[in-house]
Amino acid sequence: MMAAEQMPKKDWYSILGADPSANMSDLKEKYQKLVLMYHPDKQSTDVSAGTVEECVQKFIEIDQAWKILGNEETKREYDLQRCEDDLRNIGPVDAQVYLEEMSWNEGGGLAIGTVLLIEEDKYNIYSPLLFKCFLAEGIVNGHTLLVASAKEDPANILQELPAPLLDDNSKKEFDEDVYNHKTPESNIKMKIAWRYQLLPKMEIGPVSSRFGHYYDASKRIPQELIEASNWHGFFLPEKISSTLKVEPCSLTPGYIKLLQFIQNIISEEGFDGSNPQKKQRNVLRIGIQNLGSPLWGDDICCAENGSNSHSLTKFLYVLRGLLRTSLSACIITMPTHLIQNKAIIARVTNLSDIVIGLESFIGSERETNPLYKDYHGLIHIRQIPRLNNLICDESDVKDLAFKLKRKLFTIERLHLPPDLSDTVSRSSKQDLAESTKRLGPGCGMMAGGKKHLDF
Amino acid sequence: MLDSLLSLGGLVLLRDSVEWEGRSLLKALVKKSALCGEQVHILGCEVSEEEFREGFDSDINNRLVYHDFFRDPLNWSKTEEALPGGPLGALRAICKRTDPGPVTIALDSLSWLLLHLPCTTLCQALHAVSHQDSCPGDSSPVGKVSVLGLLHEELHGPGPVGALSSLAQTEVTLGGTKGQASAHILCRRPRQRPTDQVDPTTHLTFNLHLSKKEREARDSLILPFQFSSEKQQALLRPRPGQATSHIFYEPDAYDDLDQEDPDDDLDI
Repeated sequence: MMAAEQMPKKDWYSILGADPSANMSDLKEKYQKLVLMYHPDKQSTDVSAGTVEECVQKFIEIDQAWKILGNEETKREYDLQRCEDDLRNIGPVDAQVYLEEMSWNEGGGLAIGTVLLIEEDKYNIYSPLLFKCFLAEGIVNGHTLLVASAKEDPANILQELPAPLLDDNSKKEFDEDVYNHKTPESNIKMKIAWRYQLLPKMEIGPVSSRFGHYYDASKRIPQELIEASNWHGFFLPEKISSTLKVEPCSLTPGYIKLLQFIQNIISEEGFDGSNPQKKQRNVLRIGIQNLGSPLWGDDICCAENGSNSHSLTKFLYVLRGLLRTSLSACIITMPTHLIQNKAIIARVTNLSDIVIGLESFIGSERETNPLYKDYHGLIHIRQIPRLNNLICDESDVKDLAFKLKRKLFTIERLHLPPDLSDTVSRSSKQDLAESTKRLGPGCGMMAGGKKHLDF
Repeated sequence: MLDSLLSLGGLVLLRDSVEWEGRSLLKALVKKSALCGEQVHILGCEVSEEEFREGFDSDINNRLVYHDFFRDPLNWSKTEEALPGGPLGALRAICKRTDPGPVTIALDSLSWLLLHLPCTTLCQALHAVSHQDSCPGDSSPVGKVSVLGLLHEELHGPGPVGALSSLAQTEVTLGGTKGQASAHILCRRPRQRPTDQVDPTTHLTFNLHLSKKEREARDSLILPFQFSSEKQQALLRPRPGQATSHIFYEPDAYDDLDQEDPDDDLDI
């Protein structure tokens, strides 16, 4: 895999003396004019050597500029890059900003101010993995976390986050003690394979074209990372006393408390821009677990026409308002398979930006279906975001399946084999869907699927 | 089988129906816990105390702590025996005064509780009770709590049954064909906690450990094709002109560098 080509940050438009909005024929005209002016053969002979040098440099630059701007594809890429840089200069540097001109496939990550809803799989085995990945990414990036749950203490959730795979340089900071006990690389005495003793070990290249990090599902995140991070936990049983008198209200008390908590954190820590002294603007990552389950005091899973059937939708509406006016992004897992009233699920989907459903094969007849032999479940993309757009860019990848190996959580495109018979064992081809830089070292937790799963 | 049902702790949901009743299974589990020396509390709501205690030996009966909500559920007779807070209050009280040691609480039945309490309240209470032992930083180390709940499937819609099912650690559905009863057991294993390096040399019938002397002897053994260390150094010394190289390897999407995972095409 080749390292990504670094495009030098030169302003090709100004080199050609053209306006960024010029069309192809204008650019060509400018190019031809300049080339005639600066071509080495066309220079007058009585010019000094220094000027000749300059002319040659200039000529090379013009040529390079035309190479990029003359080709539709490269010009487009360059334009987008310029746009991104411009926006990055005015916007927060360390936030993942959604850019209007970039189509959904170009960008990556969860846009600021949006909600990612994960419909839990039936036995809630796989959805926590994605949830924890999101939180772990927040810790590694130094974002502030807000973890809310009615089931588990957020401190426990954080203890169980997967360990990130970092390249050697940053790893040394965390494994200081371990490295002190081990002998440095060059002195490792190998007894049998001694010829290989001095060969350098494998390292990840300096030019990392990766976006996001990779996680090892079998290891836990180092304690130092958790302690160094800034996080807030909301554990419902602690916040609400059981003998609280429930007043009739449109929102269940648990939801009200959670919204107040989120709002407090946003305003206290300045995520809504209210604290102008903060130079380094940071992002708040909110994770809410099992929203809508009876443990939150919501009865949509228990009854079809409960007393508070609008509570959840109101919560999501208010939450979205909070998110849109602050530098935060939110992930929610919801046991939609328990919700009795399907209309609520439809409303919930409309109120979220991205909705992904996980369907595990455990206990279903698909477990024995040879088509799904290598996988543990399917991923259904129920909704992709339409931010600042009227339509969304739907890709043609509709069938995605996932599998969880010991360290690896992979999402792959599911191909229907041409002929499906019981004797054909490895017929389904596995293709990794066109996706981004989430493809990384094999022993990471990767989502090779849709880009919007990059956190 | 009874052991495995009780070993995980948490909520054990027993789903029965008119054809295949579950109270006998509940009583069997109660008996098992009592014989193991655990504290056993019964919240009796559906049948009378005498009927529940029927079939137990006297020593088991003496061990059972029975909370009677059948005779006078709404406390109309206003006696001192009345437990405040109803069944849920009793549940919480059991948990609060638990001495260290495993506790088993049998709920006879969850259906009765569902009919008298909002489902969400019941779910929250059950969750609080059955997860008490995983509270870190608690002053009193509490033993494992098992909650056995009898649920009559036909009385409830899919909502409450689904909600309770999602809370349960273990779920036993009683069924059968033509007079032969069977139980379908569904276990939700708790998340795999990473174990420390398990030493594979323990629990073997032969000795794989090395004593210090043996280890030294092994280390000083000269292998057949091993060069002397001077020759090794000579061969290893970088030859002139050989620049030090760096290997930058960016694994491909198809590369799987996890050594311990078996290959995809192995049929193990």
